[in-house]
Amino acid sequence: MSHIHLPDGVLPVWLWALGFVVVILIWMILVRLMKKEDLTKRLPLLGMMAAVMVLGASVEIVPIAYHVNLTVISGILLGPSLIFLATFVVNVILALFGHGGITVIGLNTLMFSIEGALGYFLFHLFWRLLRRLGPAVFLATFLALTVSTFSMIGVVSLGTSHYEELIHQESGKGIIGFEFGKEKESHHKEGVPEKEVNLRHFMAIILPLGFIGWVLEGMITALITRYIHRLRPDLLRLNEETR
Amino acid sequence: MIQLSYLDYIAVEGKGFLHRLSPKLKIVGMIFILFAIVTVRNLPGLFFLYLFLLCLYFMARVPMKIFPLTLYPLIFAFLFIFLSGFQLFFILLIFLKVLCGSTGVVLLLATTPYPSIFSVLGRVLPSSFVMALFLTYRSIFILLNVLEDTQHALYLRGGVQWRHPWRSLTNISNAFGHLIIKGIDASEKMYEAMLLRGFKGEIHYRRE
Repeated sequence: MSHIHLPDGVLPVWLWALGFVVVILIWMILVRLMKKEDLTKRLPLLGMMAAVMVLGASVEIVPIAYHVNLTVISGILLGPSLIFLATFVVNVILALFGHGGITVIGLNTLMFSIEGALGYFLFHLFWRLLRRLGPAVFLATFLALTVSTFSMIGVVSLGTSHYEELIHQESGKGIIGFEFGKEKESHHKEGVPEKEVNLRHFMAIILPLGFIGWVLEGMITALITRYIHRLRPDLLRLNEETR
Repeated sequence: MIQLSYLDYIAVEGKGFLHRLSPKLKIVGMIFILFAIVTVRNLPGLFFLYLFLLCLYFMARVPMKIFPLTLYPLIFAFLFIFLSGFQLFFILLIFLKVLCGSTGVVLLLATTPYPSIFSVLGRVLPSSFVMALFLTYRSIFILLNVLEDTQHALYLRGGVQWRHPWRSLTNISNAFGHLIIKGIDASEKMYEAMLLRGFKGEIHYRRE
């Protein structure tokens, strides 16, 4: 529950279109900044880590009915720029499986990459401070997921006026309504009780579920990193920082 | 997880009329469905769209086994009930929009193999992105075998048990760690194999 796969048709057009524009811009900048040979060489690794994230999202842990994202561990292994490219690919594939909307691929990518990139930076920060792998990974994952959940709530709250429009649509006319960036109009007729969007209820459901997810994913990521550190410590590149 | 490979199998082996239709046409159709989901704001309109998609689903002879995939996004849509303060109209509107979107996507995927979709996308999207999509798709099937083997080994040896939650969590995490290490090893081999076959930064698709 560190993120939700926002469905199609829920968010206002301007919001998801902006998500696509930002993601495409970041993709173009990253591809320009990276050397072509470097990107080509690392594409199989990017594909493999993206596949790990897709499989992580499709494997339900039976006793606790939860699926992991694995974005933080992917961020630690791929680095902040490649994790962005990987999450974009992951979201396209997940959307093609009906696991999240197609129109919101951009926004979901931003939320996933916040998780991955922040996880990478926080992990290196905590590693320098604590020098203990487990707590450093757990804290980095927990905080990265907390930030991404709040960013998701922020994205949902940006569409408040749109949800109100949809709620008041009941009394409206017409089949089609394509309103690009149109401000909230006076939908409330006199004597008709006002229907409000309730973000508090939404947060009251998301945050407790999210908290369980943050702790679980934090523990799983810490255990995965410990396993990788035992078998292939070179992948974590921790010696470079120790020197 | 198993549905992933099954979906790919029926997309390649299916014999319905949608399977024979050109991938380009199906992607254009999917864009129209998305446009309708975004713009239509009344219940009868969305209901008829959903009925139309259901008819297509049965006419295309897509197996019922994957029908639950179309219902999966309702779990996330359920959260929006709390946002609206339990307004019935809003709830039905969101549910129908979600169902139309997921049914459309599952129909597209169950009748069109991934490489055909990538081939169409390759004409409009940057080659690096389409290449990343293709490599991810390949990697999913490489890792799926590793994951299934690991999962079987884990269950057969009692690695996941309610009575021992910490041990179960450790075993599941180790399985993911194993998957990641195997994946990274496989990606190195995959790159070397691609170089040996003359890979120069671009993958060429058969335009079929």
